[in-house]
Amino acid sequence: MTVRSFLKDRCLLLILHGVCMCLLAVFLRLTGYGTANIGLVLIFWALILAAWMGTAYIQRRSYFREAEQILERIDKRYLLGELLPDSFRLEDKLYREMICRSNKSVIERIRRVEEEQKEYKEYIESWVHEVKAPITGIALVCENGRRKADTERTAVDVREAFGTVSLENQRLENYVDMVLYYARSEEVYKDYLIQETKLWEVVYEVLEKNRLLMIQNQVRVEAAAEELVYTDRKWIAFILNQMLLNSVKYRSEQPVFYIYTERGKNGVVLVLEDNGAGIRQEEIPRIFEKGFTGSNGRSHERSTGMGLYLCRKLCGRLGIGIRAESEYGKGTKMFLEFPISNYISR
Amino acid sequence: MHIFVVEDEPVIRRELKILLENAMYQVTAPETFDAVSRKIQEARPDLVLLDVNLPEVSGFDVCTQLRMEMEVPVIFLTSRTDAMDELTGILKGGDDYITKPYQAPLLLARIGAVLKRTAGAKDKEAVRLLHKGAVLDISSCSLSFQGQNIELTKNEMKLLHLLFLRAGEFVARMDLIEYLWENQIFIDDNTLSVHVARIREKMKDIGIQDFIETKRGMGYRV
Repeated sequence: MTVRSFLKDRCLLLILHGVCMCLLAVFLRLTGYGTANIGLVLIFWALILAAWMGTAYIQRRSYFREAEQILERIDKRYLLGELLPDSFRLEDKLYREMICRSNKSVIERIRRVEEEQKEYKEYIESWVHEVKAPITGIALVCENGRRKADTERTAVDVREAFGTVSLENQRLENYVDMVLYYARSEEVYKDYLIQETKLWEVVYEVLEKNRLLMIQNQVRVEAAAEELVYTDRKWIAFILNQMLLNSVKYRSEQPVFYIYTERGKNGVVLVLEDNGAGIRQEEIPRIFEKGFTGSNGRSHERSTGMGLYLCRKLCGRLGIGIRAESEYGKGTKMFLEFPISNYISR
Repeated sequence: MHIFVVEDEPVIRRELKILLENAMYQVTAPETFDAVSRKIQEARPDLVLLDVNLPEVSGFDVCTQLRMEMEVPVIFLTSRTDAMDELTGILKGGDDYITKPYQAPLLLARIGAVLKRTAGAKDKEAVRLLHKGAVLDISSCSLSFQGQNIELTKNEMKLLHLLFLRAGEFVARMDLIEYLWENQIFIDDNTLSVHVARIREKMKDIGIQDFIETKRGMGYRV
């Protein structure tokens, strides 16, 4: 609030005073007062007016400054109405009440949206758990079917059909998992079980899980992850799974993956190296963005652009670094950096 | 070995039963779950597979009741994946906790591990396999023939292991690869051929000829 804007705001009042002063001067002149007397009266009037305006200005300014500071300090700014400084002025009071009422409706709306979101999230989670039962059922039927086809020497295509269903089922499972982890990614802290994790066990688990897919695609893997880290095993398995599926998706003619650990300055790094399609240099910074599919994503199987986005998000919550290096047409290296694990472990 | 399966989804129950029976376990899988902990006590199984979400009762409670009476090993099966549940499962006295959808080999491996841990040494797998005069020694990772001995790598060892176990029949390449993957050897089709060629070379050194037969498009046989 500047003096100028304050005066501009009060200009009607000032004009009124000006006009009144003129009229008084004319009246006094007609009733026969001398110029000196009239001048004195007018000067006093002007002084009193100036003093009045001055205090009003200072008062208003400090009031709004205070309000401004409160607004700066609070993190939920829509609560301003409750915190505005008291003022004897009627207008301030009315505005304050109105702000309060408006805020209340905003708060109610936010509450409602939050509630809806929470319900939706809970529904998604319970749905995921429910849908896992039939997925398990299908997986078991396929496994038994494949074994039966083996022992009873049934036609090869029966076995293959079970294999295909099983693969599709696994894809389904992965998509379902992505939904679950997406729903949970906001609240990782609720679902943490930090424990000593043998990286090779996680690597083997993920490879084992995808063995059908990888054997079918003629992938050879050399895995040697010999480090211990302290982290949540389940989340790491999910992240690694996404990375591995990407490597399979963008594989070369003769796919070979290397999975190994390195001891970096700040902890343990798990590396997944493939000899696949690679990523264009200019696209590397964007691969972790939501919905980014890139030229690979468009030319290969359809890609959702969610996998790596989720990975980065989860890594962020777990305090793990994730990055990629790639040479286009030659292959990609994905790095998971577990911080200071040797500091805790030994 | 007797396994008691508590699972309310009919399909999963049926398929689990088939899977476990194929793996040479004796299986009991009731279809109703009233007084299930009493049923388990009466059946005296060696292991219980317990679903957490049962109609009316919770698997955790069943486990608690069970624990008051007997020390049978319990593996929880569940579709819930929160850390809290896993913790509860372990605190309630479960020996392992497997989330759906589980991989059959993984499930069997975990069952095997728990049984081994709790029942002490179950019958050990044979450490020496004999076929056509050749002896595969699993503990020392070697193959001997007429007094001569060669060392094998882990990969060659596992490969021969399956062939010896199914001696006399053709083992499909796919089966071999899958078996190797289940044993943490992640190879592809070409590498398999390379390994077989290497084994043949080694065998030649100690005088075993034409031991491994190849059938195009089918697989290998010893």
